[in-house]
Amino acid sequence: MPNPAQAVEASSEEEGSSAEEETPNCLDQDTVERISQGAPSWLSERRRHAWSVFESTPLPSTQSEEWRYTDVSRVVDFTDLQLAMDGALTDGALAENGSRPAGLTAAMDEDRAASGYTLLIDGGVVHVDLEPALAEQGVILTSLKSAVYEHGDLLEKLLATEVVPPEDGKFQALNAALWTDGVLLYVPANVELDLPIRATRWISGAGSAVCTRTLIVAERGSQVSYVEELLSEDFQRRTLVSSAVEVIAQDGSQVQYVSIQQLGRDAFCQSAQRTFAYRDSRLDTLNVNLGGSVSRLDLNARLLGPGAHSDMLGLYFGDEDQHFDHNTSQDHIARDTGSDLLYKGALDDRSRAAFRGIIRVHPAAQGTDAYQTNRNLLLSDEARADSLPNLEIEADDVKCSHGASVGQLDAEVLFYLLSRGLNLQQAERLVVLGFLGDVMARLPLGGVVEKVTRAIERKLKHV
Amino acid sequence: MPENELLEGLGLDEYQYGFVDEEAHVFRTRPGLNEDIVRQISKHKEEPEWMLEFRLKALKIYESKPMPTWGGDLSDLEATLDEIYFYVKPQDQMERSWSDVPENIKNTFQRLGIPEAEQKLLAGVGAQYESEMVYHSLKEEWASKGVIFDSIEDGLKNHPELFREHFATVIPIADNKFAALNSAVWSGGSFVYVPKGVTLETPLQAYFRVNQERMGQFERTLIIMDEGSQAHYIEGCTAPVYSTDSFHSGVIEIVLKRDARFRYTTIQNWSNNMYNLVTQRALVNQNATMEWLDGNLGSKLTMKYPSCYLVGEGAHGEIMSIAYASDGQHQDTGGKVVHVAPNTTSSIISKSISKGHGRSTYRGLCKVYEGAVNARSNVECDALLINDTSRTDTYPYIEIEEKQASVGHEATVSRVGDDQLFYLMSRGLTQEEAMALIVRGFIEPIAKELPLEYAVELNRLIELEMEGSVG
Repeated sequence: MPNPAQAVEASSEEEGSSAEEETPNCLDQDTVERISQGAPSWLSERRRHAWSVFESTPLPSTQSEEWRYTDVSRVVDFTDLQLAMDGALTDGALAENGSRPAGLTAAMDEDRAASGYTLLIDGGVVHVDLEPALAEQGVILTSLKSAVYEHGDLLEKLLATEVVPPEDGKFQALNAALWTDGVLLYVPANVELDLPIRATRWISGAGSAVCTRTLIVAERGSQVSYVEELLSEDFQRRTLVSSAVEVIAQDGSQVQYVSIQQLGRDAFCQSAQRTFAYRDSRLDTLNVNLGGSVSRLDLNARLLGPGAHSDMLGLYFGDEDQHFDHNTSQDHIARDTGSDLLYKGALDDRSRAAFRGIIRVHPAAQGTDAYQTNRNLLLSDEARADSLPNLEIEADDVKCSHGASVGQLDAEVLFYLLSRGLNLQQAERLVVLGFLGDVMARLPLGGVVEKVTRAIERKLKHV
Repeated sequence: MPENELLEGLGLDEYQYGFVDEEAHVFRTRPGLNEDIVRQISKHKEEPEWMLEFRLKALKIYESKPMPTWGGDLSDLEATLDEIYFYVKPQDQMERSWSDVPENIKNTFQRLGIPEAEQKLLAGVGAQYESEMVYHSLKEEWASKGVIFDSIEDGLKNHPELFREHFATVIPIADNKFAALNSAVWSGGSFVYVPKGVTLETPLQAYFRVNQERMGQFERTLIIMDEGSQAHYIEGCTAPVYSTDSFHSGVIEIVLKRDARFRYTTIQNWSNNMYNLVTQRALVNQNATMEWLDGNLGSKLTMKYPSCYLVGEGAHGEIMSIAYASDGQHQDTGGKVVHVAPNTTSSIISKSISKGHGRSTYRGLCKVYEGAVNARSNVECDALLINDTSRTDTYPYIEIEEKQASVGHEATVSRVGDDQLFYLMSRGLTQEEAMALIVRGFIEPIAKELPLEYAVELNRLIELEMEGSVG
């Protein structure tokens, strides 16, 4: 595995000439047309269609159940945003180690063990590399921008069509119309990747709206895990970081998707994710939300083939005035499918979290096992947690349960630790770490546990 | 499956309260609702001016609020609202003695099992027929201690100050569309006052009957429990089966002063053409305890969420509910607990059974405001599905603003397990007996809280309904 940091230098030299145009990239029809220039007609059509959906979809209001706890009109003003184009930071500053953002360098140096690596800066992929042996077996790891030409058939069939279509909502439509780049990961049948594919996304603040997508396709019997990290420093103005993540696990495949979000303040991190799990596949997700001012996740797991199973894990830790809104759903469509959701969060200062989850067992999905748990720890008097764990069951041979709780640090546990000589702060940190740690224990992916634990510890230092 | 047919042949699913009396009323308004009708209702009741103004204001609010888009399907109801009779007066005056109640109405209540003999077990009985209470009585023993148990109209007439002090304070006019409707056209219901320190040893009972086709019943009940008092109030509801839909929308307000203890038991067994949209709320002051025991067996659609607003330190709220939804029924029920004061506690236990094409929904709210330190709440809901066409939903809302609070919610959905059945059958029970035993065990925690005669009836109903339902 070459050092990704060096790779950035190389790639930035090649692309160093992409000087920014002066035209402001407002979120409008003109920009849709501009980024469609030279694209295959299916793609331009798709973007135009998505834009029309975006324009005809009203801004979600708190009157709607799905947005009950987040008032979008106060979070983002679409007319005030400018689209971050690809490679806004590729020339000059980034390449030089000295002036490269420290957070990015640290993240890039942190984990080397990977089957492939990709680096996205703002709206564009600036670097990709993949173990040559895997490339020979037909694994594809590439930027969506080049995939449009190199794997056009695949994208035409799967990108923003049925997995995360623009019709899903305002943000999904926006992303489908204006995505500038992203990652395609394709794993052919029966190919197994021993180490994860890693992606680092650095947002520089050069544009105030970043729209990228991820498409992961695991063919039958394959095995792959994908770990993505979102990083930035604090922003000077409200910045929208929009992602659409589409994951397809064909029969018997095993897929893990992990997202670790540590954006700076004033970021509005919006992510729309959907997973399709076919017969006997296993498709697990872990979403770690630590950064940003506001973050909103829409995650829908579809269990489409008998024997399919999805674990859905989530972890969040809020401080100051951070706001997290997790909207999840588990759709059991085929019989004998399983899903198990566990979202846990700790909230300090004035931070607040909302969780709205729903298990839907469709009439044909007999033999469903579905679980859903949301647990919150309030660390401050001003923190707030809202939880709506819903069930809609239309089949009778099912085992479903859900649980939700909101509570404070267990006084007995703290007392025990204090009696062992720890001071209160140490004891509190330990309990919080343990509370959140059992989520990661469910998905012990190499490097991820350490990385997330370090990130939580960094936040805990301020507690 | 053969058992299913066998049982249907026995007619167990028949609704035994579905008989119809001949229509006999002394006055009714034209179908539909407008300002004129509201004025007529108020005039017939010889109300003070402030109440007419209250009603008219409520009508405006009702008209301005949209139909709820959540919960059950209200489109059929909305389409027929113009054909519904909002006020039907069955007799000229309310009676204090059974013998004075008109024969046909008396017969109805006797057939429903509210005979005079039952008074032996009750402290007081009220009976509402269509829009008015036709009968109200309270045993002398309690009346002499200052207990008031009267129709809501007489409450307004005879105790104007006490009435006005509390009326619409727990459920304001604009609380929701149907509370506004009730506020505009309310008629009938009970007015209860239990003085300081008085404990009613036997329950008060109110019985609600709708006979008229396409009728809207809007009873309004106001209960005031003074400091340290204790009482238990039971309401039961039935109606004939018509091909057209009827509509029942009650508002029940309860004020519990400090240290009071009150239980409100509902056995709702409306016919399957009834829309039952009820707002029930209790304001629970310091160290008082409110218990809602809510049994929903009948109606086409019920949307009812008994609530406890725990506004005094140490207040306790409890909601136990059981819902049974069979073909063509949607029970959208649950409960709300709102913790405002410190050291308040609450618990919600909900059990639902869905059979055939029935759908039962739990919808609940647990809210802890900042400052309600040491609030504790626990919500448990369990759903049992009998057939593969049955449906159940759970929508709990948990909103916590206080760090020093502990709130938990658990729900399970299951069908009767083959292994459970197999075990009992291996012990010599028939499949039907085993099924009935499991279901009875499922509802037992709530059924045991019911007054004996209702518990027996519920058990019998469940037992019979469950038998032969296996796969």
